[in-house]
Amino acid sequence: MCNGCKVKYSDYYSDNIYTWCTNCGNYAIHQALKRSLVKLKIPPYQVLLCFDIGCHGNGADKIGGYRFHGLHGRVIPFAVGAHLANHKMPVIAFGGDGGTLDEGINHLIHAVRSNYNITFILHNNGNFGLTKGQVTPTSPKGLAMNSNPFGLIEDQINVCKFLLNLEPSFVARTFSGNIHQMERVFVDAITHKGFSFVEILQACPTYNKVNTHEKIYSKVYDVDELDDYDPQNLSQALKVSSDLDNKIATGVLYFNKTKKDFYSRLPQRLNRNKALIDEVKNY
Amino acid sequence: MKNRFSVKIVGESGQGINLMGEVLSKAFLELGYYVFGYREYPSLIKGGSASYQLDISAQNINSSFKSSNVIIGLSRIALSQYLSDISDGGLIVHNVVKFQKSEAENHILKSKNASEEFIDTNSLLDKLNLNYRYANTFLVSLIWARLGFDVEILQEIFKEYFKERDDILENNLTCINLGFEEGSNQSLVEHGLDKPEKKANLEIMTGNEAIARSAIACGVRAFYAYPMTPASSILEYLANNAINTGMIVKQAEDEITAAQMTLGSMFMGTRAMTATSGGGFDLMTETISLAGMTETPFVCVLAQRPGPATGLPTWTQAGDLNLAIFAGHGEFPRCVLACSDLESCHRLTQQAFNIAEYFQIPVIVLTEKHIAESYFTKDTNFENLPIIRNLVEGKALEKLSPNDRYQFTDSGVSKRWVIGASKATFLANSDEHSEDGSVTEDASLAQQMYEKRMKKYTGLLKVIPEPTLFGKTSGEFLLIGWGSVKLSVLDAINFADKNVSYLHLEVLHPLDIAKLSNIMGRFKKYIAIEQNYLGQMSKILEMELKISFTDKWLKYDGRPFFVDEVIKYINKL
Repeated sequence: MCNGCKVKYSDYYSDNIYTWCTNCGNYAIHQALKRSLVKLKIPPYQVLLCFDIGCHGNGADKIGGYRFHGLHGRVIPFAVGAHLANHKMPVIAFGGDGGTLDEGINHLIHAVRSNYNITFILHNNGNFGLTKGQVTPTSPKGLAMNSNPFGLIEDQINVCKFLLNLEPSFVARTFSGNIHQMERVFVDAITHKGFSFVEILQACPTYNKVNTHEKIYSKVYDVDELDDYDPQNLSQALKVSSDLDNKIATGVLYFNKTKKDFYSRLPQRLNRNKALIDEVKNY
Repeated sequence: MKNRFSVKIVGESGQGINLMGEVLSKAFLELGYYVFGYREYPSLIKGGSASYQLDISAQNINSSFKSSNVIIGLSRIALSQYLSDISDGGLIVHNVVKFQKSEAENHILKSKNASEEFIDTNSLLDKLNLNYRYANTFLVSLIWARLGFDVEILQEIFKEYFKERDDILENNLTCINLGFEEGSNQSLVEHGLDKPEKKANLEIMTGNEAIARSAIACGVRAFYAYPMTPASSILEYLANNAINTGMIVKQAEDEITAAQMTLGSMFMGTRAMTATSGGGFDLMTETISLAGMTETPFVCVLAQRPGPATGLPTWTQAGDLNLAIFAGHGEFPRCVLACSDLESCHRLTQQAFNIAEYFQIPVIVLTEKHIAESYFTKDTNFENLPIIRNLVEGKALEKLSPNDRYQFTDSGVSKRWVIGASKATFLANSDEHSEDGSVTEDASLAQQMYEKRMKKYTGLLKVIPEPTLFGKTSGEFLLIGWGSVKLSVLDAINFADKNVSYLHLEVLHPLDIAKLSNIMGRFKKYIAIEQNYLGQMSKILEMELKISFTDKWLKYDGRPFFVDEVIKYINKL
């Protein structure tokens, strides 16, 4: 992304001390994120990282880059507004399963529909951590937590399956226990032109006693391991994404390169080379 | 009442009431008259009753009379609703077959010495084999003839309107000629208007169009909104002009999204705007709080209509002042500006951006349905304000450090730069933070950062527009108002030859207590005029200035203050 830039892993270093629990999946996610940005030669001052509210958001000041730490559930529309103002700068947004699928689910659906060229990374640990252990839409049915002491009576959302039904541009699933896979998926997602959705399955060592790191690890496989998997085949993607109980498919599940992103579709921006940030005084 | 005349066209929504209002307005402008167009319409696509009232004068006017000298009626329901609005000695012309007046209606016409005339447009149009919907053109042309004006003016305006629709134009021209012929055979209606000087470049424009054009002119490059009356026409105007301007105009999935997208674009370093009404603004309030905390500039137009809840969606009120001033959790500096006419819509939109960017705060621009959708006459070009962005640029970008972004300063304003312009990266944090945005829960740092933000009020008070005093600089009574109140009060003062003073507030927050006290101290009695039930402005003034009002004239029925009511009120003082 940056010709001639020399980008080092340490460029993304922060002096602030991590405050996550021991064994939290977020540590590995930060590591994979930094590795993917270095691999893409994106220096910290040429990327905008946008964080939602939740445990992942508490890492906003523990990594380099231009960063925004906003409100619960609202990271997607904020990141989209930032992207449209300067479509030349990569924008990566992060959200948790609570904020994204409870309060912010409308934004997620519309971002897929509008196909804004941003990357969205969902930290899915199946519960609220920062508010101390409540259920989210990705918690398994029957799970007893602080807000549902007698067990969750509602059904679980399989977010990849859900989004694939919207005929998205890019959908991937990965696991916080696999830094190499995360790095590869992040690189693909950031490079893809359009709305790139990445779900990370991660454990919450403190509150999620059901879907532990070991349990997720024992179920995941990479679609690359399948003989005849075509990530441009939507029905195949829908099929493999459905199973969350026995064998969980990870990797780039689906992409569609023929879909134009929102900005490229805007008739008023055709033949205009500048970004909006360069037009305020020159209009 | 000297040198004013008004014509009201009433009918059902969908009968072309607005088109006739606009055509007639342009015809008067062509003659050099000023017009003020006031629309009433129900929250329906078709049916109900709607009106377009045109007040006309040789002098600049910005208000409506409650009563009309001529009413053109196109439906029974609308006639029933508006019959009582006829002036003394007025004329009602309509095409309602078998119009049976009630006893009350007869009484009104008699007591006002008004006449009612039926024109059988159905038979006339049948003869021409034309659709009954052309009755509007026919009746407008008939009245134009009876007012003694030239038919060519009307013809030219229709030709311009329908230049791409030959068939419709031809039918309209037929109706114009026929209506004019019919009207010429009838008695003249005395309008009593002075002959105006012919002026070039008069145009009619709504308050919303003035806001939209102003936004384009001051470098707004993105506009995000969700449709809501009476803000929607800003979205519509900007969308219609997007190919020329290159502005990104996006109808978002809700107002939360519109506000967040606006904030995101502003954060990145361009100028972006959103507009909504009270219900949509409710959804934006968390974002306004976020703008306050992250010190990100934010501008929202809040076009008021009566609430609570859905309220009266297509009517007017100024009941969201408290909402604008107090919306959002926590405490943070903000600025609330209120438009009243085209000039202030233009100026305050641009000033809102300069203030938002200079001080890195949210700014709310209040307007009302009565300003947003009424048609004003524009006779001059408004000057654009210099664009003030307060961004670090050029070589200075190289010397920045992350701590500069939220650095403690005497003014509370820290350096801000376009994202990506400098190698000094930072975090904009909705959590309380230190100078580079890193999270903190330290008591003294938290207090210091809180105070840094609030300090901005000191500088803000130095740049906000001053309250304007109209009339004598001292005396017994001082009327005080904000928003559209100014329109009818100033017209009333001009036309009633009454020496009353009016203090108009454009900045509702923060208040410059010293300046206000200085002006108000020269008067003995204060009278608040407001379009809300609580007297929201007057309550704030009472609280901040420790004063009391002799009287509060409060109106909250969805209708604006009409100039004749204001004159009556002033005369009683």
